[in-house]
Amino acid sequence: MKIYIIGASTTKFGELWGISPRTLAREAVGGALTDAGIKPAAVEALFVGNMLSGMLGGQEHLGAFFADELGLGVPAFKIEGACASGGLAIHAAVAGILSGQYKTVAVLGVEKMTDHKPEDVATALMGAGSEEERLAGATFPGLYAMLARAHMAKFGTSEEQLAAVAAKNHFHATLNPNAQFHNALTVEQVMRSSKIADPLKLLDCSPISDGASAVILTAKSKGQRVKSKDVEIVASAVATDTLGLAQRESLTELKATKEAAKKAYKQAGIEPKDVDMAEVHDCFTIAEVLAMEDLGFYEKGKAAKAIASGDTTLGKSKKLVVNPSGGLKGCGHPVGATGVKQVVELVEQLRGTAGKRQVSGVNVGLAHNVGGSGATAVVHILKRA
Amino acid sequence: MNSPVKIWRNQGKIASLLGKKGVIISWTMVRVPPAGFSDQAPYPVVLVQLEGKRIMAQLVDPPVGGQVGKKGLIGMKVITVIRRVVQPSTEGVIPYGIKVKPLW
Repeated sequence: MKIYIIGASTTKFGELWGISPRTLAREAVGGALTDAGIKPAAVEALFVGNMLSGMLGGQEHLGAFFADELGLGVPAFKIEGACASGGLAIHAAVAGILSGQYKTVAVLGVEKMTDHKPEDVATALMGAGSEEERLAGATFPGLYAMLARAHMAKFGTSEEQLAAVAAKNHFHATLNPNAQFHNALTVEQVMRSSKIADPLKLLDCSPISDGASAVILTAKSKGQRVKSKDVEIVASAVATDTLGLAQRESLTELKATKEAAKKAYKQAGIEPKDVDMAEVHDCFTIAEVLAMEDLGFYEKGKAAKAIASGDTTLGKSKKLVVNPSGGLKGCGHPVGATGVKQVVELVEQLRGTAGKRQVSGVNVGLAHNVGGSGATAVVHILKRA
Repeated sequence: MNSPVKIWRNQGKIASLLGKKGVIISWTMVRVPPAGFSDQAPYPVVLVQLEGKRIMAQLVDPPVGGQVGKKGLIGMKVITVIRRVVQPSTEGVIPYGIKVKPLW
C-alpha cells in the first residue's frame, strides 16, 4: 500500500478581515475535493491542524466544529502542536491510513489570527513555550533571537545574512498569487526595520496571518490506478525535543529537526542531496538558516552565507530551491495552516503547476514544519507518482 | 499564571533557585512585550548557565552603553534574585519569581 495526495488546495493567506474561519475551511477543503475529483461522501475522517482557536477564538472541539461546517459527519480530530499543527495533522492522517482504520481522509490546516490584538496573539503564541519562558517575559521573536545570538557568536553569522533570507522569500512571494506579501524586500530595508527582539527586526519575522489549506490523502494498493497528478508521500516523520529553550543540548541547532529529517530520509530511502525543492519553517530568518543545516543541506555554520549568495533562490539556484511559496515570511504564517500549505506547495511543484514560481525538474520535495522554538519538528517527503 | 494555589505550590521551586551564580550564554532585548509586561519593556531576557542547570530569566539592573562589550551580554556573570515578574491584576496575588542581576 502507498499513500497519495490526490487533492490539494489553499486559500490566499493574509489579513483577511472579511473572511471567517468557516469560509476559509470551506474554500480550502472544497478546493481540495474538487481537485481530487471526489465527492465529500468519499471522505472517511477529518484531521484539523490548528493551534489558537481555544485561546483566541474561545472555540475548542474543532473536529466536530469543522466536520459539521463542511457537512462531512465523519470521525474528526483537532491536532495541536503549536506552529507544527498542520504538519502533525498530516502525520496523524497518514498514521490513520496506515493503521487500516481509514482509506481516504481530509486534512485541514486553519488559523484565524487577525481578529485579535497583537499582544493577545503574542501571549497566546507563548502558549507554545514553557512556563519559565512566559515568566521571563520572553516572546517567540525573543526565543529565536537567542538562537540567533548563539549562532552568530559561534559561526560569525551576520545580521545582513539573516536579512537576505527575508529578501529571498519576499522575492519568491511576489511570484505567488496566494502569498500575503507581494512586495520585494532588500537587505537594507530589513536592516532598517524596527527592532523587535535584538538582533531580530520586524522584517526578520513572519507576519500574523489568516488562512487555510487542505489536502486529500488516499491509500492505493498495487494494481490500483494512479493518476499522473497524484503525489506520493514517501516519508512522514515527527521528532520531539524539550519544550523550553534552556533545557536544550545545543543552541545552534534544532535537534528535533535533525531527528525527524534522519527518520524521513531513511523512510524515503534518499539523502539530502536528492531533494530538488523544499519548503522549510522560516518563522524567523534564523530559523531557515538552522533548518538548512539541520536538514543536512549544508554543513553547520555554512548555510547563512550560501543563502545570502543566492544558492537557494529561484532562478539562481543550481540545485535546491527553498521556500518557492515565499515561506512563512513572504507567504504568511497562519500557524495551524502553515504545515499543510507547505505540502500543498510541494504538490503543485511536483505536478509542475506552480506557475511563475515553478522550480524546474522537481522529482522530490521536502516539507519541514516546526512547533514552538523547536520542541516539535515534522518532515514530509513527497515524490512524483 | 496568577492562581494563588499555583503560586503557593511553586514557592519551593523559587526558593531552590535563589542566590545561584551563573554566566549568560545568550540574550535578547524584548522590545515588543506580551500582555502583562508592557510596563517593563524594553527589557533583556537571558539564558544563564548555572551550576548543573540552565534557566531563562529577565536580567534586572542591566549594564548600560559602555559597559556592554563587543560580545554584548554573553559571558557576563549573574546571580539569581527574587522579583515581581508580571503586572498583577487588580484582584490577583502579586506574582513573584526568579530574575537575574549582574555580579560586578
